[in-house]
Amino acid sequence: MYFVQVIVNGILLGSVYALLGVGMTMIFGIVKLTNLAHGEFVVLGAYLSTVLAPLLGIDPVLTLVFTVPLMFLTGFLLQYFLIGRAMKKGAEAALLVTFGLSIILQDGMLMIFTADARHIVASYSMMTVSVGALEVSVLHLVLFAISLVSILSLSAFLKYTHTGRAIRATADDSDAAALSGVNISKVYSIAMGIAMASAAVAGLCVGMKWTYYPSSGGSYLLIAFVVVVIGGMGSVPGTMVAGVLFGLAQVIGGANYGLLISYVMLLIVLVIRPKGIFGK
Amino acid sequence: MSDTILEIDSLSAGYGDFIAVDKVSMTVEKGQIVSLIGLNGAGKTTLINTVAGLQKPDGGTVRFKGEDITSLSADKIVAKGLSLVPQGGRCFNRMSVQDNLLMGGFTKSARKKLKETLGHVYELFPDLADMKKRPAGALSGGQRQMVAIGRALMARPDCLIFDEISLGLSPAVIKDIYRRIIKINEEEKTSVILIEQDTRRALNASDSFYVMLKGRVVLSGKSSGIDSETLKKAYFGI
Amino acid sequence: MNKRLGKPVKVLDSLPLLIVCIAVVSSLYVVCFTGIASNNAMRYMIQIFLYITMGEMWNLLSGFTGMTSLGQQLYIGLAGYSVAVATTKLQHSLGVGLLLAVAVSVVVALLMSLLLFRMEGMYFSIATWVVAEAFEKLFLNWKYVEQGSGLTVRVVPYPKIFEICAFSLTVCVAAVAVVYILLRSRAGLGLTAMRDSITAASACGVNVFCHKLLVYVIAAAFTAVAAGVFFVNKGIVYPESGFGISWTVSMIFIVTIGGTGTVAGPIAGAVIYVFLQEFLAHYPGWSNIILGAVTILVIFFMPKGIMGTLQEKLGFEVFSAKRFSFAKHK
Repeated sequence: MYFVQVIVNGILLGSVYALLGVGMTMIFGIVKLTNLAHGEFVVLGAYLSTVLAPLLGIDPVLTLVFTVPLMFLTGFLLQYFLIGRAMKKGAEAALLVTFGLSIILQDGMLMIFTADARHIVASYSMMTVSVGALEVSVLHLVLFAISLVSILSLSAFLKYTHTGRAIRATADDSDAAALSGVNISKVYSIAMGIAMASAAVAGLCVGMKWTYYPSSGGSYLLIAFVVVVIGGMGSVPGTMVAGVLFGLAQVIGGANYGLLISYVMLLIVLVIRPKGIFGK
Repeated sequence: MSDTILEIDSLSAGYGDFIAVDKVSMTVEKGQIVSLIGLNGAGKTTLINTVAGLQKPDGGTVRFKGEDITSLSADKIVAKGLSLVPQGGRCFNRMSVQDNLLMGGFTKSARKKLKETLGHVYELFPDLADMKKRPAGALSGGQRQMVAIGRALMARPDCLIFDEISLGLSPAVIKDIYRRIIKINEEEKTSVILIEQDTRRALNASDSFYVMLKGRVVLSGKSSGIDSETLKKAYFGI
Repeated sequence: MNKRLGKPVKVLDSLPLLIVCIAVVSSLYVVCFTGIASNNAMRYMIQIFLYITMGEMWNLLSGFTGMTSLGQQLYIGLAGYSVAVATTKLQHSLGVGLLLAVAVSVVVALLMSLLLFRMEGMYFSIATWVVAEAFEKLFLNWKYVEQGSGLTVRVVPYPKIFEICAFSLTVCVAAVAVVYILLRSRAGLGLTAMRDSITAASACGVNVFCHKLLVYVIAAAFTAVAAGVFFVNKGIVYPESGFGISWTVSMIFIVTIGGTGTVAGPIAGAVIYVFLQEFLAHYPGWSNIILGAVTILVIFFMPKGIMGTLQEKLGFEVFSAKRFSFAKHK
């Protein structure tokens, strides 16, 4: 029974890890950029929800109605006016700009929100439900639902809309997409907007599950990296599988050895398949 | 034939310190087929990539339907009605054939008649209709070229540029593709620029021609009645 | 076809360069030993020398060889712990501690190369960071090194500050010299070729693995020595301070500001970094915001860094890594 419990928790939490990776893998696959500020974007999302929920007196999950559009817009503008311009100077320049952004955001959040540990509390944070002999935390179910809905709606958007198709085409061959009438810098900006919106959702999830600080961005970036690399850069299904593997490692290894196990897992995957499980 | 659709005036372009296209001028009349021939590395692809907006020019102007399009980006130029089928087709390999074609109709004006144009393209390339669900990367070279042509047609262009469409294809497939290009030209009154290394094939299909060598136009004229000795000299630069 | 060749760069080289270098270095030694400089000034000098060493090594990896590591803190942490274990736990001298630091780093670098060199580009960068993080977690759980609370570094007898300063200067000079000589050698040609294209370089007969290994091990060893001295000064090492990503943040800043892919760049970058940090200490909370903003501004307005831009503007180059060079001009 313990075994089933571990698997269920691993999968539920794994969806959150997958969500952390999705924004990263999109930017890598479409914009061909490694976004070193992704972790800070996630923490920013967490702070926005932490502040908004009591302010508006609503359930933390409902804050997404405000944080997702806000973060999308921020991402769009950042890419359009800053990162996109740096990309014209070369890939390394763009990488360093995201690096600069990450340390600016880190200290900016430290000044605004102080170094105190934060945590997003909902009315159901401590509840559990029993399914047969299985005890499942309501919070985990909520997080799983949020992550799954986000990832699935993103996949549907990419698959069925004009814009989604243009994004996929750009990821495939940006010159050919431009020749089909796609404005590439706009697509890149939309992709960054989506990545940041996904960071808003991921931020809410990690903020509800764990305590966080302004400096937590680095560890979320690293988790996103690990998940994305295990799955194969640019692959959304790969990211989901890797997220679950990562989740299982955390549940099995616990607070002391969870991360160590997943790092070793990553290194093993890289040695056997240097481009990730689903990488081409 | 009367009015000019595309007018290239002393256009220059290059890569870093290297000048690949040196003050090239060229005109295309409405409804005409023009061939642009030359050796490997003569600057043909750089020229039309610059015209299509994939590359920034170092000097000169490009006018399309009387409008200056020199500094426009590729997506704006497509919207004006000038489409390029790039070298090797460059299909979106991870997308289905149908998605590839739908991408071709991405511009605002094309999107209005998307269904109609799609039906028309499937009529022209019935093979594509049978495999619309398959990923483009799984098709043969000739089929991928058809997808690329169909994709360009989806934008309902007034002028179509084909960059070495016959590269790496078998003679039978090449013949088939040329037949369809001429059909497109006749039925839609679409102006066509054919970039080729094979002079005979290009001259047979076109109304007029340009020969490029080392970044410059060295010979041009009507395709019929050009004597092969003059052409050979210009082509090889001897 | 037409090629627009740039005018050749004047290379301040061989004899004049050697004379200038010897003059600068010996005057720095004089400053160390004669006590002209106050203890405070020497503290800054030590920091600058150590950061130059680390910056040069990071630049050697990333700017010259294309191995952008986000995990050099692995060797910084290992060095800190080696010195702490040798001096505090085993009661040996500082010299033994530094030797142990180098030995441990070289052995770990050799082992890690088997794993890391299977990857390229961003995968390599991420893997280096992950390895450093994995070591941090390992040390956090390791009883012998007191887990999270860390180890103190108590050196007996504690060296005088001018001794530390002179030693740091020696390490720094050796680091610059090694990078310069390495890049001017036959191996250097192979290394820069590898940065531009691994495949093409190996097709030309460059033994990619050996070249990478050479650079990686040298970088690990020098970084370890510099870090060892650093922790003697600090007096304590714990997992986050040793294996933290902030070391890489500093190195990236130093190299970007100074000029990626130039030997003189990290020297300028380290001087600016140490003074900027000192200045920013008066504005707590703002330091990373300003460092980040400076990085972004430099990328937009001086993409080749201070030394790279100066070289281009003035048309000469100190410590040129190239045998022939042409300045690009438009």
